[in-house]
Amino acid sequence: MALTRREFLTRTGLATAASFLGPSFFRHPFVTQAMAETIGDRYFVLIFLDGGNDGLNTVAPYDNASGMRDAYNTARSASSAGGINLAPASLLVPTPLTPAQALKDANTGAQLGLHPGLTGLKNLFELGKVAVIQGCGYPDYSLSHEVSRLTWQTGSALNLGTGWLGRHMALNYGSTDVSAVCIEDAVHTEFKQTATNVLAISRLQYFSFPYDDYDDADIAFKRQAFADLSTAAAGQAQPTLHYTGVSGGTTLTASESYRQLDGLYTGARQTWDSGYEDLDNKFAQPHTNYVARDLREVAKIIYGVSQGQPMGNPAQARFFEISTGGYDTHSNQGGASPTGQHWEILQGVGDAIEWFYQDLANMGVANKVCVMVYSEFSRRIAQNDSGTDHGSQGPVFVIGGSVQGGCYGNHPNIMDPNLYLQDAEGNTQYSQAAGDAFRSTDFRDVYGTILKHWINMPVTGPSGINAILPADGGDPTMWWTLPNFDLGFV
Amino acid sequence: MGNPSATLSANEARHLLRRTGFGAPRTTVTQLTGRTRGAAVDGILSFKPTKFKPRGSGTDARLYSWVRYMISSKFQLQEKLVLFWHDHFANSDAKVANDRFMANQNATFRKFCKGNFKDFVKTMNTDVAMLEFLDTVRNFKDVPNENYARELQELFTLGVKDFNGNANYDQADIVQIARAFTGWNYDYRKAKPYFDDYYHDYTADFSERGPKVIYKNHGGFQPTGRNYAPTADDEGAQEINAVIDIIFDHKDTSGKSTVARFITQKLISYFAHPAPSAAFVDTVIAESNFDGAVVDPLKPAWNIGALLRAIFVNDEFYATAAAADPSTGFDASTPKSVKWPTDFVVSTMRLLRMRLQGRYAIVNGGDYRSVHDHLENMGQHLFEPPSVFGWDWETAWLSSSTLLARYGFARDLINARGTSTSRFRPQILVDLNLTDPADIVTAVTDVFGITDQLSDGEKAILADYLTNNGAVSSLDLHDYDTRNLKLHGLFALVMQTAAYQVH
Repeated sequence: MALTRREFLTRTGLATAASFLGPSFFRHPFVTQAMAETIGDRYFVLIFLDGGNDGLNTVAPYDNASGMRDAYNTARSASSAGGINLAPASLLVPTPLTPAQALKDANTGAQLGLHPGLTGLKNLFELGKVAVIQGCGYPDYSLSHEVSRLTWQTGSALNLGTGWLGRHMALNYGSTDVSAVCIEDAVHTEFKQTATNVLAISRLQYFSFPYDDYDDADIAFKRQAFADLSTAAAGQAQPTLHYTGVSGGTTLTASESYRQLDGLYTGARQTWDSGYEDLDNKFAQPHTNYVARDLREVAKIIYGVSQGQPMGNPAQARFFEISTGGYDTHSNQGGASPTGQHWEILQGVGDAIEWFYQDLANMGVANKVCVMVYSEFSRRIAQNDSGTDHGSQGPVFVIGGSVQGGCYGNHPNIMDPNLYLQDAEGNTQYSQAAGDAFRSTDFRDVYGTILKHWINMPVTGPSGINAILPADGGDPTMWWTLPNFDLGFV
Repeated sequence: MGNPSATLSANEARHLLRRTGFGAPRTTVTQLTGRTRGAAVDGILSFKPTKFKPRGSGTDARLYSWVRYMISSKFQLQEKLVLFWHDHFANSDAKVANDRFMANQNATFRKFCKGNFKDFVKTMNTDVAMLEFLDTVRNFKDVPNENYARELQELFTLGVKDFNGNANYDQADIVQIARAFTGWNYDYRKAKPYFDDYYHDYTADFSERGPKVIYKNHGGFQPTGRNYAPTADDEGAQEINAVIDIIFDHKDTSGKSTVARFITQKLISYFAHPAPSAAFVDTVIAESNFDGAVVDPLKPAWNIGALLRAIFVNDEFYATAAAADPSTGFDASTPKSVKWPTDFVVSTMRLLRMRLQGRYAIVNGGDYRSVHDHLENMGQHLFEPPSVFGWDWETAWLSSSTLLARYGFARDLINARGTSTSRFRPQILVDLNLTDPADIVTAVTDVFGITDQLSDGEKAILADYLTNNGAVSSLDLHDYDTRNLKLHGLFALVMQTAAYQVH
């Protein structure tokens, strides 16, 4: 599907078709089944930059078109003590595959550059595999980490209690399926729901059930007793006990299948395997974050799933999530120096994603994997002492072999030095007004295009996108109504 | 409602002990059974806070020291409260990077654990680890840093929204409160805070920021708001206390004390069950006069101990004490609460009468891990909460990864074979003369106090394990192999049941 920036924000015709057919059409079981299209043989990976990534220093103005660079220089100090200004020469300006895919802001015409730490991302951008979606946010931006994180991860400011992808899984997967894996110790909010199973595995290597090996002959009895106890607890009406029983039983069976994927991958892909570790080892604590190691676990599972492994009990997960912290840079954020905090953590993420992409390409599945990188908010336009306070809209990155790379949406308006165009806190204004040159991108539009074009969900109907991402209601020049953004996966 | 004269059943006594401490040893349950709720609770609350401070050099050593103290302390409620406050004022050594400051803060939690909540918050304002963690030391007059001002309201006192879903404050309040906290720093060597007025935001120097008025739109102070430094004499170091006084006067859109409702709801969620009703919250606040609604010298406001007493004598507190239905287990309406990893580890060590071994606080079996690693794998790395929000509670504690960590801890304990106090010694816990499988199951579930929390079906599964699905009809626990295989195995399975993961 060819895409120009002008087509960014065209409405689909499907909503009209749905109303024509009427609601009863969608209640027919056969239609429900047929419409419950899923991710198929594709995969989706979320990378959460925890703490509020400074978007203005992640994708920064390179030239002074429309005064964008002057505004940036006013807001971001170049002082050697605590200044976080990224000089144009330090920015990474990717050479685009085609002129249409340049990292340029369509609205102001400003050339943009990536943070100097993001070499990995720049390389992928030059291959046309990175979509930079600017100005992603929502109205009445909450500057609370918790509230904003929940808004992004549940896909609504309405406190729905379940994750946006969790709702998709609940509609399309059964109670014994494992649809998703979080590469950490806990299930992330995006995947939260109770109808199907999400594993939390920090390292496959250690994901095994702990039996006392006093006498190996007894292990079969231990396993049976544990499995029966889990079933008994899962049969209780009390929700916490039910949850614990279901989780225990799934954990037992998954530990017997997923763990095998570790040896399968490390045995077959030694160079790729060790490459991830080398990337992490470039950084000293506390900024290493082990993003590359986390992505390696995802690569191991995708490798196994794509080959139907392990035999007889194949792993099925299609959705993955990793989180990485250090982005709450109220202080000591660092500027254009490779020892700064923001530099190190961004470089860790960018390099890891590049290696992950190359690993997938080598496996032959790069076109089947889509990665989305986001944060709960961006940071204040003007810096404080040596860092930045909480801000509003920021960039989202969508990366993958089938992604139409380029620059989407509008760079937030940072240009008024008197801040009158910014809100009372000094953050950029959010707007969905059609005529606004600086029109923002609602984060649900990004989710919408992923659900629609990557996961193949219908827009309407009981398991459609409208059921997953409810409209905010309210003034459509501010509030979100329908997914109307098309990233156009090839 | 509050019912201090009701008599405790064994079941309720066990519940009270389990929630106010780490595990309910059988002898203590027997002592409290038949006493009134009021008398039992007064006994539990009567301690004078100890001056304990986690010892050692480095955070790991401090962690071992604290966990050991939780296991051995006579004042179980004190440690359970310190754990709560560590989650509430969630500072992480990952940012503070100073275990001495973290240990000092831990001692402060102990000092105030059941004291005056307003004084507690004022003390935390200038706690050295807090000054570092929420950037107050980087909050200067020219560009105030909002980090502490935001979390003070959102997490420590008010919450973002009240019970009616209305905002309790807005960004303007954060900006104005950040001004009050400018100029604070600390002396590294003495680990003491001090105020440096050179960096403080004085109204005269920043006329464009206006008067130091907060809550023009919220808190029952509308439309004028409240000024925390109305005259020049009110400015300076005392502003941070004036801010706290105003916050504690804040009323929600029901006209109730916002701070009292916020912290009471959280304490009930910790000690009783999640999502308590507003009626439960309001009742215990009124009964303890926690919000100071009436002026009574015998019932001073903000007394955490009095609030806890009101919670622990309330009928709703005992709603989670019910026994399982023998055939169906628990119905949907029984509130249950997931045990925190620290509770799971500490109470298990206490109930098994085991000690952690050596300098590195090792569990001497299985993977031979320190208690630090066990807790971290279960998702609770003490002194390093994941963020300023503290840990996620309830089922967030239980993922496939953290469940395996709990199962592994159980396995490691029963694998620690030997005779010293750091080893698993079932002979001091159950009568080895028992031979009947069902009796042995009951003896083991009694050790953990969950016999009445299991359905008959679950007990039968445990007995089937002992008998290899009926292949044998009785067991000789004096036999070394039978004991080491089956009795040890049964202990692990009971610790791995869903019932043992919850309260």
